[in-house]
Amino acid sequence: MKRVLLFLIIPVLGWSQSAGEKVFAQSCATGYCHGARGAPAGAPRLAGRGFDQTYISNTIMRGLPGTAMPAFGTTLSRAELGAVIAYVANLNGIANPSINLGPGPGAVGPAETPLSPEAERGRALFFDAVRGFGRCSTCHEVNGIGISVTTPIAKIPTDAAALRALATPEVRTATVDGEAMPALIVSQGKTRALFYDLTSAPPVLRTVEPGALQVAEGSAWRHAAVIGAYNDAELTSILGFLREAIK
Amino acid sequence: MRFLLALFALAAACAQDRTPDGATSNGATGADWPHYGGTQLSWRYSALDQVNTGNVKGLVPVWIFQTGDYAENLQSTPIVVDGVMYLITPRIQVFALDAATGRVLWHYKYPTPRPGKPGGMTFLQNRGVAVSGGQVFFGTTDNFLVALDRKTGVEQWKVSVDDPRQCGCDITAAPLVVKDKVIVGGTGGDAAHRGYLTAFYAQTGRFAWRWYVIPGPGEKGHETWKGDSWKLGGGAPWMTGSFDPDLNLVYWGTGNAGGDFNDQDRLVPGAKGKEANLYTASVVALDADTGQLRWYHQEVPDDLWDFDSAYECVLIDRPINGRMRKLLVHMNKSGVTFVLDRVTGEFIGTFSPLEVQTWISGITEDGKLVGRREPEAGKVVNTCPSAAGAKSWNSMAYSPRTGYVYAPINEVCNDLTSTATEAIEGRFHANGGFTFKLPPDRKTYSHLDAWDPITRKRIWSMPYRYVLLASVLATAGDLVFTGDPEGDFFALDARTGNKLWSYQTGAGHRGSAVSYSVAGRQYIATPTGWQQAITGAQLAPLFPDQNWRGGSTLIVFALPEAAK
Repeated sequence: MKRVLLFLIIPVLGWSQSAGEKVFAQSCATGYCHGARGAPAGAPRLAGRGFDQTYISNTIMRGLPGTAMPAFGTTLSRAELGAVIAYVANLNGIANPSINLGPGPGAVGPAETPLSPEAERGRALFFDAVRGFGRCSTCHEVNGIGISVTTPIAKIPTDAAALRALATPEVRTATVDGEAMPALIVSQGKTRALFYDLTSAPPVLRTVEPGALQVAEGSAWRHAAVIGAYNDAELTSILGFLREAIK
Repeated sequence: MRFLLALFALAAACAQDRTPDGATSNGATGADWPHYGGTQLSWRYSALDQVNTGNVKGLVPVWIFQTGDYAENLQSTPIVVDGVMYLITPRIQVFALDAATGRVLWHYKYPTPRPGKPGGMTFLQNRGVAVSGGQVFFGTTDNFLVALDRKTGVEQWKVSVDDPRQCGCDITAAPLVVKDKVIVGGTGGDAAHRGYLTAFYAQTGRFAWRWYVIPGPGEKGHETWKGDSWKLGGGAPWMTGSFDPDLNLVYWGTGNAGGDFNDQDRLVPGAKGKEANLYTASVVALDADTGQLRWYHQEVPDDLWDFDSAYECVLIDRPINGRMRKLLVHMNKSGVTFVLDRVTGEFIGTFSPLEVQTWISGITEDGKLVGRREPEAGKVVNTCPSAAGAKSWNSMAYSPRTGYVYAPINEVCNDLTSTATEAIEGRFHANGGFTFKLPPDRKTYSHLDAWDPITRKRIWSMPYRYVLLASVLATAGDLVFTGDPEGDFFALDARTGNKLWSYQTGAGHRGSAVSYSVAGRQYIATPTGWQQAITGAQLAPLFPDQNWRGGSTLIVFALPEAAK
């Protein structure tokens, strides 16, 4: 009966021991930091230190300023945070930790709802490091990953052809020191003008004096040219990812 | 004034001429300290000799600069050009200082970087800016390369080298400016990440070339990786390279293969004992214009000890058997030091400065490691030196007057564990861990050595009770400067190792001292502040009676005005 109850409670709470151990192994027990199962390594021992639960939560969430201990509160997902806090609490003899992460925005992390296989393929392609600066995330941020050169993706093209033919009226022609270049204007203030030079990937955020920058509407820049690292099937998967990831 | 400067330059030139065996001396700095390694040949040697063995006792602090980043320390190499010092701090403040007085000319503060990948590696450390023409360049904790206007400190451009929330990497090294390009590496050798060097055009920030440490499909060397392990196999070149303008070659040391302590997912079956996981743990020569690989020398094939080759490449010209050779001297993290022909990559010789070395039983005459004591899954294997390195990232120095290299060597061992874990992009992928152990029956755990890289003989050695983790500066005054974690900054006689001067700076040393002159007065500048994170703070618990102090302060010494 007891065993049955345990199996019931843990999934309900969502902080399973094995999940916590996995997060700990991946994020904490690393060569330069803590040892496996809280043993001492590069960073101090965590097992059997008599830490209370508040201290464990605060340290994991906020880090320890002035040390190598980072804050995980904004980087691990809530599920991962709960699991790893419970795990470290267990290592300190707290058998049934009550984890309350408090209110607040959801942390960046793996999607809470799993993606379809097609969208998962698209996700991998969107962030595909093998494609270097040819990957989508060179200019686009989705769910906290990627470089936000552009404004967040709002409208998702219907198919690969539409993605290639995407109208980009925001790309204009900047002229600096007599050189014209495709540009995304970020700001034109009284003392500084900021724009992305899109001549080559990755885009370069330039800062110039306002008088040194001339801007004209229109540009020969085409979205099709910068997504050339992907074929139609890959772009279709990427669109599938965007449809599921961007709510 | 102009006459004084000219006289001074002449004196410096004369000082350079007195070299052993007719060695050339174009790696020496003069009034400026223009590059991370002094010059692009990375000697960390100043031709200034106003301060010398005869008068070094008279050195006094003349100005002190507090950066404000006290929680992190100060690891950067100050760059000095035309009487202005450019100093970067761990939280990416850049200061332009009057190099004679410390007065702030301008101050730049990088916005708070966005956080990196959880479980990845991002370090609040920065080891220096690069200065060229009218620009100052540096990398950031969130992987941007930034250019400032050298006169005003105003940002000119910035470009994202990689997404820290994906790659688990960041930039801590000083960039290397080569002709019209800025070349920068990154960390991530212990994260699941494929390391690279990237070059950008200095004027515009536009991409010029990228060289991946791990060859992609169809490229030579790709076959040394098992399955898809090449995609996340590490090798990040996380320090600063060197440049030979005559050969137009850039030299860089690469990081270790990942996962560090277990090769199960990356070693091709049957490859044990052969070259493996190219081009990790190697010294490489790249065409400066294109980034094309010209030659490589792998120091630790199938590394299993976290023995990077990421450290400085010291480019020297010395005769061997009567023939002048262009050489490259490179110390692997294991301490094993390789002397190569830098035209061809030909192996010339090797030596190990360690007194306690158990990870291998020796090295053959042609530079092959033998008797490898490898970590094993399910066991604890004690090896020396430790994953913190016989030497850390802090640089050695070379004096053309003595012909010796000067390096701080740590005698610390570790218990290694080895596990095979899945590589998840950007997450730490050490595949095991280490616990530092002091070797038994010793009273000292480090030494500052002078080695002749040609005869491969140790000339002198200064033992030290704890560990030494600061770079070395050599000067034409036949002095060698470095600092220790207890806070002493000291000068040794470059020929004998005798300690001639010491000054208690109040905080431990983990940075890189430089020398320069303004208006004919020679200055020696050293960063201070013991490290709060990797390596330094990790080694400190080995000496529980010690309390090495942090901080983030630059202290500048000179002879009193009347004495110079």
